[in-house]
Amino acid sequence: MTDTVAQICTLLAPFNSNGTVLSASTDISSDLNIDSVTVMDFVMEVEDHFDIEIPLNILSETRTVADLARVVEARRKKE
Amino acid sequence: MKVAGGIEPLSRTPRANRNLPQLLGSFSTLAEGLDYAAEGVTGFNFYSPRGSLQHVLPYAQLRRMAMSTARKLLSLGLKRGDRVAVVAETGPEFMAVFYGCQYAGLIPCPMPYTMYIGGKDSYIERVAGMLAAAKACTVIAGDDLLGHITAGAAKAGVARVLTHDALQELPEAATKLEPFGPDEDAYIQYSSGSTSNPKGVLITQKAIVANAQGILREGLKLTPDDRAFSWLPLYHDMGLVGFCISPMLGQVTVDFMATTSFARRPALWLKLMSDNNTTITYSPSFGYDLAARRINGEAVTLDLSRLRVAGIGGDMVRADVLDQFAAMLSVAGFKPRAFLPSYGMAETTLAISFVDPDAPIRVDSIDRHALKTMGMAIPSAGERSRSFVVCGKPMSSSIVEIRNEKGKALGERSVGRIFVSTPSMMAGYFENGDATRAAVGRDGFLDTGDMGYWLDGEIVITGRAKDLILHNGRNIWPQDLEWSAEQVEPLRTGDVAAFAVEGDDGDDDVVVLVQCRLHDEHAIETLRREVSATVHRSAGVECKVVMVPPKSLPFTSSGKLSRMGAKQKYLTGEIAEIMQPVFLQAAQ
Repeated sequence: MTDTVAQICTLLAPFNSNGTVLSASTDISSDLNIDSVTVMDFVMEVEDHFDIEIPLNILSETRTVADLARVVEARRKKE
Repeated sequence: MKVAGGIEPLSRTPRANRNLPQLLGSFSTLAEGLDYAAEGVTGFNFYSPRGSLQHVLPYAQLRRMAMSTARKLLSLGLKRGDRVAVVAETGPEFMAVFYGCQYAGLIPCPMPYTMYIGGKDSYIERVAGMLAAAKACTVIAGDDLLGHITAGAAKAGVARVLTHDALQELPEAATKLEPFGPDEDAYIQYSSGSTSNPKGVLITQKAIVANAQGILREGLKLTPDDRAFSWLPLYHDMGLVGFCISPMLGQVTVDFMATTSFARRPALWLKLMSDNNTTITYSPSFGYDLAARRINGEAVTLDLSRLRVAGIGGDMVRADVLDQFAAMLSVAGFKPRAFLPSYGMAETTLAISFVDPDAPIRVDSIDRHALKTMGMAIPSAGERSRSFVVCGKPMSSSIVEIRNEKGKALGERSVGRIFVSTPSMMAGYFENGDATRAAVGRDGFLDTGDMGYWLDGEIVITGRAKDLILHNGRNIWPQDLEWSAEQVEPLRTGDVAAFAVEGDDGDDDVVVLVQCRLHDEHAIETLRREVSATVHRSAGVECKVVMVPPKSLPFTSSGKLSRMGAKQKYLTGEIAEIMQPVFLQAAQ
């Protein structure tokens, strides 16, 4: 598990109400049964934690924790 | 695009025009309204996702940009009345295109953006459906969404896709601008119809001006000292008409934050309203809920004492949520009297009824059983009762009737279907005569699809006659959920029924019944998860997936799925989950 993946899993833990084992392959939108409003809450946590902004188009193509980790790493290099 | 400021730090547009008399929508077109507002100093301000002032757009500058954009659009050889689709991201670019179309005689069609994690595919489908239905010739998007929009445009056969930057680089056509006149169209709005069959509400200049006048004069009782704030999406009627159009037609300033920013930081809405001494805002009930939950200890640092209109629309108004918000924000000087429940829809431009802005909200508690079995709203208290928030009197220009199944107009406390006749009625669903005739009768009354009753001349909404699912202020078409679920192997068309089960608090829980031909427990649970995930990705809504036996879903005589029938059977227990509850508990 990379450092970014681990950090994202930590941020995701409070939203993980059904006890799914979090890993790089966890599908954020479907494995965790969280609604679209709560998902945005999590996205904000990620943005604040890494001090980045995630554009809409990229968010819409993101599914798993690993996807999100790649987005975070790419945005951090950029900003 | 460069907007105001330059090297100097940005300063937001002032609250009021000192030297320009306020006119409350006394115009015959949107362009005429903007010509007048441009004589003053008020306008739009846009805040960043973290709450800093990003763009300032006084109406004078908006008008200049709109006229320039109009000439650039016309350089493409567009003909009068052509549809220009534009992704309605909250910012100066969208405003320039929307109002540019007004000066060019082109019909703007504000389009949604995608907000969901993993929502790409369903977004492209949705956009393609809208573009095809509008027969749009051009679509304009920001850089971010260009890829998705290009894919949608290709599916819909729309030839021209432009970024805002590319549009602004076009040469200005040297033609004289002929803005839309009083007898012409104004815009098309897509908040109606499913993804597979979207319906564009065509609004005329007459309709928008009539509705804005009602909103400004009767609904909000606007004064020159008002200052509005909105995070509502501009592709939605409440955001577009309520904040991008009406305040401009009343020459007051609007401060905006993007819907996506609100979704991430709901409490920022309250903070920015405090900073700006906002007097008018609007949200569905769920927005107040989110903001109150997230403000935590910061409420005490805010000043919301100037807020005189905290409007509620777009979902069932929930008294419990409003009470919580008021309790949470009383330390900030928020006055519960500011709550302004209202009722409306895109088909009537926006507003139908408002509660008196100076009056407190009124809650009516009625007997739940009598409501269900007799269609009567009989006052009652205690466990058997249910509370509804009263949504106000129809605006003076509108006629509302609540009718029974035979079409007879009902009196006080009888629940029926709500019909409306109004000068702000849509011209129709764009190039969709069948759908228009199904919605608007020969008597000119629109069938709203909502149920309700009269109480002292005010409308009380009790629910919907249609199958629509209402979730966090959004309309969700059950067909869309069913269609997406049916794509999961081994399901087939007709295997899925989706509907809402209304909780006691007025919120909808989404239930998805799936005809299941599998026997292996593991396979069934995998299917359950996949259906849930697919529905979530396509509509951003969590649902309860119930596996039911093959051939158990009821169909009408014409072979259509009977959603109401399926819901009835589910609620009575006639159709039930095939898996043993013990196993389900273990799985959860």
